[in-house]
Amino acid sequence: MTDRTQAARLARRHALSLLLVLTGLLMLAPVHWLFVTALQPAGNAFSVPPDWLPDKVTFHNFSAVFDLIPYGEMILSSLKITVTVTAGSLITSALAAYAFARLRFPGRDVIFFVLLAALMLPQQLTVIPTFILMRNLGLVDTHASVILPALVNVLGIFLLRQFFLSIPPELDEAARIDGAGHLRILFQVILPLSGPALSALAIFIFQLYWNDFFWPNIFLNSPGKMTLPVGLVALQGSQGGAPALVVFAAIAMIVAPVLVLFLFFQRALIESVASSGLKG
Amino acid sequence: MATATTSTGSTTKHSRRLRGMTARRSDTVAGYLFAAPAVLLFLLFFALPLLATIGLSFVHWDLLTPPRAAGLANYERLLGDSHALRVIGNTFVFTFASVVLHLGPGLLMALAVQRRSSRPLKYFLRTAYFFPLLISWAAVALLWQYAMHPTFGVFTHYLGALGVPTTSWLTSPTWSLPALLLVDFWHTIGFTFVILLAGLQAIPVNLYEAAIVDGAGALRRFWNVTLPMLSPTLFFATVVSFIGAFQIFEPMYIMTNGGPGDATRSIVQLLYETAFRSFEVGYASVLALVVFAVIFIVTLLQFRFARRWVHER
Repeated sequence: MTDRTQAARLARRHALSLLLVLTGLLMLAPVHWLFVTALQPAGNAFSVPPDWLPDKVTFHNFSAVFDLIPYGEMILSSLKITVTVTAGSLITSALAAYAFARLRFPGRDVIFFVLLAALMLPQQLTVIPTFILMRNLGLVDTHASVILPALVNVLGIFLLRQFFLSIPPELDEAARIDGAGHLRILFQVILPLSGPALSALAIFIFQLYWNDFFWPNIFLNSPGKMTLPVGLVALQGSQGGAPALVVFAAIAMIVAPVLVLFLFFQRALIESVASSGLKG
Repeated sequence: MATATTSTGSTTKHSRRLRGMTARRSDTVAGYLFAAPAVLLFLLFFALPLLATIGLSFVHWDLLTPPRAAGLANYERLLGDSHALRVIGNTFVFTFASVVLHLGPGLLMALAVQRRSSRPLKYFLRTAYFFPLLISWAAVALLWQYAMHPTFGVFTHYLGALGVPTTSWLTSPTWSLPALLLVDFWHTIGFTFVILLAGLQAIPVNLYEAAIVDGAGALRRFWNVTLPMLSPTLFFATVVSFIGAFQIFEPMYIMTNGGPGDATRSIVQLLYETAFRSFEVGYASVLALVVFAVIFIVTLLQFRFARRWVHER
């Protein structure tokens, strides 16, 4: 009797597992379709049903992307913006988080809560005045217009402050007795102990700006200055539409680095998104 | 070890006294200096634009000729603008459907995955559900635009194989919004899934053990243990999904351009077009304030509710 119910339970559990594996594969199928199609020679394009395991592949579509749009420049633009924004906002966040976690000064808590309230501000609320500001400064269609507003990350300040608060204050007080200034304490005591928080935040900011479309689409117009997502959409719309296979190769080249990043930093990525409570 | 502890203890006390006497002023200066980069950037790119958006909502301005005072004209225009109101309505429909899709299937997926004992299986499922979230919306939108193509789209093909009549999904007045919801689900479900899974794993096992001792079946355990314990997480996920979905822009902008007609236009797309295509800065600012107002209200609700469940705990 118990044996039979156990067997039934086992079967049920495996049926559910099987169903779950199927849903997982279904979620991954579009990505697989993307890579398989991007690797197809022109004649084979978009066979229906698709060739899920093609025996002939070519990298021709990938090189064609570089002929159609300044893809190299776009990669450099994306990298330049994303790396600058990540490094810059880590620094401004760490400095501010140290002030809010470790220093006492008049108005500290008020300033901190005003900053926190900004987590509610949607991008759309600030984009119009910022566009006008950038236009008056002559910065529209420069990378500065994308980088500057991104150099402050309220969420980063908040997360790092929480992490700094968990580091025993005795550590930096000891350093203080030894004559270390605040900058030294931050960079030589606090930050070396904050590796997990810093890397989670860095990955989160990196993928956020690597993927962002809304803001760079408004501020960057010259193809050479566009970031990859903006350039990708421009490529598809170019001259009555680029060849579909070339667009696929371009999409694949945006997805591939994220895929690699994900496989290496899965834990940190998932945790950073979960703890941030914000969508990419 | 014991001596080390006492010595740090005494230096702490010593340094506290030191700090109280001499270090306070340097704390203040350093505090302002350290917070300054973030605070100045914040003022320039958050606080100032927020005030400016409010100010701009009271002017007519095309960015070329000087701005003219508009009084409440932009606000009055919104009340009589059936096009804009329809778009706002669309956005609410999209948002509610998106939240329901995330919370319902998302909870089922989290419940199912939590029970799996096999680590590789868990790892695979977490990866598979979460990965699309990391792909740029631009790439997601283009990929699915091809997948939903009426003739060579892989999505269209397999639906056809299941007996669903072939439609041009993205240009159909009936099906374009559901099609975008599906793409939104594919892209964003990993977020809700991860949050709900974390919430489920935080529920103490002994609550379930106690319920079993009391003779509670699976359904009762779900109603009396899982749901109440998960309710804060569920509420948080609802609010964050709502805020995210209400600001949706890329899939409609790229895949359907808001069409056919206005079937899939979202308020952020309308804002974008009003500001950067027809250069009606004042009216676009009113639309931006509508987005803000909705998000503000939802966030306030979150805090209200949070206070209630924190007390209950």
